[in-house]
Amino acid sequence: MQPMRASCNSISTNSFEGITPMITQPATGNDGWTGYSQLASSGNKAANTATADLINILDALDVPIVVVRCDFVVAGFNKMAADMLGLSSSDLGRAPGTNAVLAGLSRLEEQCNQVIATGSEASANFRHENKWFVVRVAPYSSGGRQVTGTVLTFSNVTAFRASIDQAIYEREYAKGILNTVSHPLLVLSADQRILSGNRSFYAMFQVSRDETQGLTIYELGNGSFELSTLRIQLKEMVEGSGTFRPLEVDYASRGNAQKTLLIDARPLSLPGHSERRLLVTFQDITARKQAEAVERNRAQEKLRHTEAFLAEAQHLSRTGSFSWRAETDEITWSEQLYRIFEFDHDVPITLELIGTRIHPEDRPLLEDMIDRARVAGADLEYEYRLLMPDQSLKYLHLIAHGIQDKDGRLEYIGAVQDVTQRRLSEEALTKARSELAHVSRVASLAALTASIAHEVNQPLAGIITNASTCLRMLAADPPNIDGARETARRTIRDGNRASEVITRLRALFSKKAVTIEPVDLNEAAREVIAMSLGDLQRNGVVLRVELADELPRVGGDRVQLQQVIMNLLRNASDAMRNVDDRRRQMTLRTASDEDHHVRLTVKDTGVGFGSQETERLFDAFYTTKSDGMGIGLSVSRSIIENHNGRLWAKANDGAGAAFCFSIPEYSGEEAAARISGQARLSLTRSGRIAEELS
Amino acid sequence: MKATGPLVSVVDDDESVRESLPDLLRELGFTPQAFSSAEEFLDSGNVGGTQCLILDVAMPGMTGPELQRELTLRGHPIPTIFITAHKDDFVRARLIDQGAVECLFKPFNDAALHEALTLALRKT
Repeated sequence: MQPMRASCNSISTNSFEGITPMITQPATGNDGWTGYSQLASSGNKAANTATADLINILDALDVPIVVVRCDFVVAGFNKMAADMLGLSSSDLGRAPGTNAVLAGLSRLEEQCNQVIATGSEASANFRHENKWFVVRVAPYSSGGRQVTGTVLTFSNVTAFRASIDQAIYEREYAKGILNTVSHPLLVLSADQRILSGNRSFYAMFQVSRDETQGLTIYELGNGSFELSTLRIQLKEMVEGSGTFRPLEVDYASRGNAQKTLLIDARPLSLPGHSERRLLVTFQDITARKQAEAVERNRAQEKLRHTEAFLAEAQHLSRTGSFSWRAETDEITWSEQLYRIFEFDHDVPITLELIGTRIHPEDRPLLEDMIDRARVAGADLEYEYRLLMPDQSLKYLHLIAHGIQDKDGRLEYIGAVQDVTQRRLSEEALTKARSELAHVSRVASLAALTASIAHEVNQPLAGIITNASTCLRMLAADPPNIDGARETARRTIRDGNRASEVITRLRALFSKKAVTIEPVDLNEAAREVIAMSLGDLQRNGVVLRVELADELPRVGGDRVQLQQVIMNLLRNASDAMRNVDDRRRQMTLRTASDEDHHVRLTVKDTGVGFGSQETERLFDAFYTTKSDGMGIGLSVSRSIIENHNGRLWAKANDGAGAAFCFSIPEYSGEEAAARISGQARLSLTRSGRIAEELS
Repeated sequence: MKATGPLVSVVDDDESVRESLPDLLRELGFTPQAFSSAEEFLDSGNVGGTQCLILDVAMPGMTGPELQRELTLRGHPIPTIFITAHKDDFVRARLIDQGAVECLFKPFNDAALHEALTLALRKT
């Protein structure tokens, strides 16, 4: 062991005075306190004990401690210093730099001298192997104010340094990411002042970090963000309530380019910080918005074009369209439909309003349509008239298709065509045609009459001439009896000739040959209804059709039977022409009848007839109509009778009448039975009048 | 039988007329001749002697009015009474305009015929 330096001797000797080691060697076996032990051993027992205590305490610390004397030699060290720094008793009294580890503290001597000179601490960072230490150089004084050495303590800060390094790394890492993110990011304080932004943020707003420091977000971009929706949402976020709904903000940049930004925000909770911060992101969606706008414009333009196209088509075709929810009576009309009905565009359309335009006679049709639509959901096809405020008439043709939405609600989509012009020209045509038909009927009737007259007048001329001659012969003096007898005979012969003419005429106008085939009366009736529906609707007749299922087929001539059905429909319709105080209701019904017959009934609510007239109805030329010929029912009856059937009429309990016919089911035997009839008919057709007329 | 009266020719395709009318004419004091067609009458050689013609309007072949025109063309117009089973006042008026004495609609009575014959013979 080296002796202490002389200049320090007195001090150091003083400083250890009174320390009496109780034991020569500490229990730990560290020899770093050798000097103190030796010094202390000369002292009293109490000092000895205190020294031993201190040595034990110091050795128990996990911090290396080295005492360096003012002459810069190691005066002592604890056990930890021995373990970690590799100091041994041989280092006592030698400069710390002789120890391999302490040699790493390059400025130690300088720092120790400074501490001794100033009396204040110094510290240095020190790395040994993989550990970092903070070396604290504290002044050592032995009781008095004079500093006579230094105490080096080595605090292991490896973990602390590592966490700082990690923090620095994390911070740089985060900064790197933030600055790489192309979306501008902004961190706001709780009072929405700008704390920091990423590179994109400063680039986008063309501001520097300094310029924005302390500004609120609302002061950015010429107040573009001064929006109550933004304020409220950010405030709520600070208060910890609500989630931010992204906002689109129009913003004029410094370069005066108009931009649309999508602003979003998230609360930033930092551990250990009670103050809430907000992370605000800006997304430049200008291009997307522009593309959307272009697309929207294109779509709108297309829609406008389509609408214009549709409107023009509706206008040209005089067709309006509508939708009608059957449950709620919500009605939507196209522009053209308003035009057809001549309603103002802002008038809400209701069924009642529509009813005010419908011709009073056609209102039952509308009611019937509504009833049918509500109940059945069937497709609709109607013709009805409008009575306009100026008393003019419009004829409309309605077609509608019922569809059910996913909730089962019924909605009708339909079209209404103004067919006035067509109807008027049709009516004109029909009138012209019926006039023509009448004329030609009259003409042919006249020709027929003339022909009949000619045929009858010839023998009549003979009869009268002969009779005159006969009288004259009888009146002669003397009477010419033989001549009179001869002329009387000729009179009889001519009378027979006239009678034959009448017989031939009757034959000509009796039935034509019939074609017997199995006929489905339902189908035949449906065809007739299809043909007559327009007429019936025009007459305001509501037709109910009740066709029996699985109706047996009848044997007959389909066309003739259809003529009968048509005739019955027309009669029923005509019978209701002047009915205004009740519904013009017509029912066509088919049913199986007793004895293998099939019955068809046409019932009306028309004027009816007195019961005494029922049989006369079927007489030719009997009619209750002012313009009728009265032939229809008589012909119908002869057709039905020719089918071995029966046609009759009965008065309803209420208003109107019912006409029924009943004919046998088809059995396959009719054809043979009817051939003889045909042969007879073709024979009678060989008469002279038939030839002339054909 | 009086067979000395003026010669009256009947031209009609209807047999009952040809049978009955000559008897009546005879009773009325005329001398009748009956022909079934215009052609038969023209070929008969009685054209010159006929003082009155009772002529059916519509006949197969040459019609009554055609025969009347033919006679006028030949320079032998004969007073003519038309008879027809077609009652047509328009046709009757036209025939009278064209020179017919009368147009009787079948069946006609003997008085009307007699009156027309009297009128016809007065013209000659």
